[in-house]
Amino acid sequence: MASTLSRTLEITVISGEDLRNDRRPIKKNAFVVVRTDPYNSRRTDMDTDGGSYPKWNEKLVVDLPMHAQFITLEVQCKTSLGDKTVGTARIPVSDFVGGYVPESYLHFLSYRLRDHNGERNGIVNISVRVKVPEYASCSRTELGIPMGMGVAWGQRNFGGGIVTGVPV
Amino acid sequence: MGNCCSDQAGGRAAVGGASSYNPNVPNEAIDQFLKSRGYNGLFSQIELSYSAADLRDRDVLSKSDPMLVVYTKGRDGVLEELGRTEVILNSLNPTWITKHTITYHFEIVQTLVFHAYDVDTQFHSVEVKMLKLDEQQFLGEATCALSEIVTKSNRSLTLDLVHREESTRSTCPRNIGKLTVRAEESLSSKTTTEMILRCSDLEYKDLFSKSDPFLIISKEVENGTPIPVCKTEVIKNDLKPTWKRVFLNIQQVGSKDSPLVIECFNFNSNGKHDLIGKIHKSLADLEKLHSSGQGENLFLPTLVGHDYHNKTLKSQLFVEKFSQSVEHTFLDYLAGGCELNFMVAIDFTASNGNPRLPDSLHYIDPSGRPNAYQRAIIEVGEVLQFYDSDKRFPAWGFGARPIDGPVSHCFNLNGSSHYCEVEGIQGIMMAYTSALLNVSLAGPTLFGPVITNAALIASQSLASGGRKYFVLLIITDGVVTDLQETKDALVKASDLPLSILIVGVGGADFKEMEILDADKGERLENSTGRVASRDIVQFVPFREVQSGEIAVVQALLAELPTQFLTYMRTRDIQPLSS
Repeated sequence: MASTLSRTLEITVISGEDLRNDRRPIKKNAFVVVRTDPYNSRRTDMDTDGGSYPKWNEKLVVDLPMHAQFITLEVQCKTSLGDKTVGTARIPVSDFVGGYVPESYLHFLSYRLRDHNGERNGIVNISVRVKVPEYASCSRTELGIPMGMGVAWGQRNFGGGIVTGVPV
Repeated sequence: MGNCCSDQAGGRAAVGGASSYNPNVPNEAIDQFLKSRGYNGLFSQIELSYSAADLRDRDVLSKSDPMLVVYTKGRDGVLEELGRTEVILNSLNPTWITKHTITYHFEIVQTLVFHAYDVDTQFHSVEVKMLKLDEQQFLGEATCALSEIVTKSNRSLTLDLVHREESTRSTCPRNIGKLTVRAEESLSSKTTTEMILRCSDLEYKDLFSKSDPFLIISKEVENGTPIPVCKTEVIKNDLKPTWKRVFLNIQQVGSKDSPLVIECFNFNSNGKHDLIGKIHKSLADLEKLHSSGQGENLFLPTLVGHDYHNKTLKSQLFVEKFSQSVEHTFLDYLAGGCELNFMVAIDFTASNGNPRLPDSLHYIDPSGRPNAYQRAIIEVGEVLQFYDSDKRFPAWGFGARPIDGPVSHCFNLNGSSHYCEVEGIQGIMMAYTSALLNVSLAGPTLFGPVITNAALIASQSLASGGRKYFVLLIITDGVVTDLQETKDALVKASDLPLSILIVGVGGADFKEMEILDADKGERLENSTGRVASRDIVQFVPFREVQSGEIAVVQALLAELPTQFLTYMRTRDIQPLSS
């Protein structure tokens, strides 16, 4: 029953804005690493011609553990000295899970990046959609309970699975 | 797609030119061009066509010979003739062939007035434009707002014709026929062409390296310099460049057959780019060039004696890709079942002054002259109400103590503890005046709760499968106290089908409001580093009573269709076909 312990996310890494490396705009070869937990990550291809305003438009499908409260986006840049982290954004799962909107709603989200000193860097733009199995999506709106925490959400989704077991 | 939700000004500055074409952000040259012709923001050309049924018979021996005169009515009530149809002989159920084009403006109420006449036989040799209308027999008149037609799913509206005298009397009008008006958006405004262009064998222009070519596509105009509509990026050091795709809206160039001039320049950092060669082609020609797979030679005007001769070059232009797509417009969405839902929140903080005193911003003048709050409600409401079919508007107040309770930062204006909706603009006005009597003004000025409530309604509508877009109007006299909470609420709301209009009344310093309006500065950021994914706030100060206030409201509303389209298009939401 792995599916009840994690949910599948479609994360489209759209673009970055005003990315800087030691105050200087990066020239090329930026890419993004999406981490759902310390051991699982996915990465985009490198952007070669967007400079400090790279565009990736790349969809990454990741599994998010039910207990996870954050995912991490790391913008890195390939340089002659190896890959360097430009900036990081920590994304609360509650930004795209819970609330009143339909579970499979396509969220457009943007985040401020911080470099390793905690200084403000550029912005990363993404879209996130929670992949919902067909049967679960209709039960969701009937419940209509406002949601805050990832843990509570897990219980509810589990409950939702049971409800939909009843023939409609 | 990515462009649509990113910082538009920043993106454009970074990439430059049309290589990052975004349908919502026309390039500056086009913007300039449109503004110089009086178009602002998003506009659509609408074609009006007309038919009538059961007209009165005014001729003795035959049926009426009807003609329709169409006017637009200004805010001052003055009629301006838009055009006349042809005269249709012997018909009480005419369908006129003449159509009129009008530019649709979202932000103003465009009132149309129709007068039907029976044109006597003796005038049939006269051109319709020359006819003296007072010599013709009047068959009836009708009036409506353009937005009433375009929000109909079949884009047509049937009106009862009334007689001029009857329209002022309140007696039941006699049946003197019906007029049907159809509004069709011209397809050209929706069609976008995508092309990939390349050149071969360009000439050397730089001394020590190959040329750095780029293209400028301009629209040729009669006796004038061509107007640039599109520009490619500069490709360094390349004599056979392939540029990134370029996008051209058919309306930008006029039509598919309008002559265009494509010029290839060598980039010079001093701004004096040298012309490598040029070519004259319409979009239709370019399409042919694409399907044939052939190139076409560029030429260069060269001075020979006193005249310019076109010297044909070895260089050729190729069209690697040519495709057309039709993009849904704001009006497509309206006709396709999308609605704008209007919500209002009114500032009841003590800084407005005691409502019983004439210097208060909330003073209700016994003479009936509306105060600043009432004016803002009426002027924004009268435009938006056409786009809201049930005309039930949530209305709140903030910053006051309702009937001896604690200060509330979001109370229902109608006094109910269960529901926040009121009926129509009149309902808002009544709820507002009665709230003034029932609450005591307090403070501070918090926007957070009102925005959160509006966001809640918007997300609940999504959950029930609604296709609605919400517009919250906040009218305030002062600076927000909870700037960070307001930003947090706005950042969260930027992911929802919601736009927020803020009107500042009174003489306070509204600098902080400008911060909320992202197109005047940086993108909004909340306390945890999440950034607004799009601009949803529009702020205007509403100070002057005498003049210019109409323009203020227009400026406030003008961005709404774009914000609406950004939301729909980035999510790939299609209008339902009607």
